[in-house]
Amino acid sequence: MSQRDVVAELRAVRVEAPPELRARVRLIAAAAEPPRRRITLRRALVVAVPLAAALAAGIVALTRPSHEQTGKQFAAHGSAAVGTELAPAAAPQRKAVVVPTPAGRATIYDETLSLQLRDARAVSDGVKRALAIAASLSGYATSVHASSGGGQATADLVLKVPRTNVVEALSRLSQLGTIVAEQADVTDAQAGLNATDRTIARLQRQLKKLRAQEPAPAKQIVQLERRIVALQRSEAATRLRAHYATISLRLSTKPPAVGVHHGHGPLHGVVVALTWLGIGALYALAVGGPVTLLLGLVWFAARAVLRRREEALLSRP
Amino acid sequence: MTFADAAERHLDDVYGYLSWLTSDRGAAEELTAETFERALRLWHRFDPGRGSARTWLCQVARTVALDHFRSEKRRLRREQLAADPDRFEQRFAEGLSPDLEAALRALTAGEREVIALRVLLDLDAQTAARMLGISTTNCTTRLNRALKKLEEALHVAA
Repeated sequence: MSQRDVVAELRAVRVEAPPELRARVRLIAAAAEPPRRRITLRRALVVAVPLAAALAAGIVALTRPSHEQTGKQFAAHGSAAVGTELAPAAAPQRKAVVVPTPAGRATIYDETLSLQLRDARAVSDGVKRALAIAASLSGYATSVHASSGGGQATADLVLKVPRTNVVEALSRLSQLGTIVAEQADVTDAQAGLNATDRTIARLQRQLKKLRAQEPAPAKQIVQLERRIVALQRSEAATRLRAHYATISLRLSTKPPAVGVHHGHGPLHGVVVALTWLGIGALYALAVGGPVTLLLGLVWFAARAVLRRREEALLSRP
Repeated sequence: MTFADAAERHLDDVYGYLSWLTSDRGAAEELTAETFERALRLWHRFDPGRGSARTWLCQVARTVALDHFRSEKRRLRREQLAADPDRFEQRFAEGLSPDLEAALRALTAGEREVIALRVLLDLDAQTAARMLGISTTNCTTRLNRALKKLEEALHVAA
């Protein structure tokens, strides 16, 4: 008998369930059929994902200040500032950062402070106040540069204030406007000064020996003297620089509102929401990726084991 | 299609598949009833877009049968039945020659299963492979091997 005959004989077989079994299954089927689930996971996701995106866009759009609101805020600041010549902006005032320096060591202190003021007049007044503050604290200005135009004004000042008064100076200068940027750089100059001191002492000893020689080498003595003087001048300059802290102060008005809001169309909220969704998705991918991979491997291994067990079960007659 | 319709239409197929898989008509009856009980509970999960009701019912039947094979108690019963000579008087189905019947009994459950799916239920290779969780090629190879065994057994018997 060929394979074709075997298949033909097998196909001719008709297997029918016995009547008792049929009756039993009919009884089972007659039982109340559970209702089909109307809300499946897929359907829920189809609704939930756009809803979440729309909600996020709505929240962003509502919480974002509009152009009109910004204008009103400016107006409010202007009227409030009438009473005081240099009223700080409405934003919570914060003080400039002061980096503590070790006492008894020569340190070079450079501070950069950017302040925002409400208008050109305030900038002009701010320059005067800053110079007055520096002078009152035994300091001085090394450079002042101011410019204005189109309702905008900027002033750049470099102030030298004794390092002992720098805390007071920064505290008072930061009251002139709203701090928008600041940077403090502290460099220890003591080690360099100590090294210079040692060099000078060594050169002076050499000079003494040369002078004691008969005849004295005049040329060498002059060279050494010049070198010692140069080192002493350099040391004095460093000490002077360490005595005064340098404060680079920038006073400026707020940039035009048009520039800030340029390009914010009616769909800006949606774009922001989508950006955040993208960032969220990226984070989820970064965190969830390895976990998913691990779970996938576990699932794959479990499936392989299960399949093998099934094969073993079905390998018996 | 309601569950009652599906049950009425595909009862013979499920019963036939289980008879061949277990080679025990008594057990097949029990398992068929259990299959339809389970299928009723899971009927809300059946998606006609992903396959026919017959295939889905056979998948449920397969799970039930595998649980049956796994059960230690039932395994012992199977072993007792295997030792019982009267069991061989119980036929797979009407219309099979005694030699073919004996050859079928000599096959493993897995081999009988693939014959039941591909020949008895006339499922295409892709559907049968998906049901068995193997590749289409593997399914075809398994069927050819089973048929070859039957052919050889019938040659020996002749």
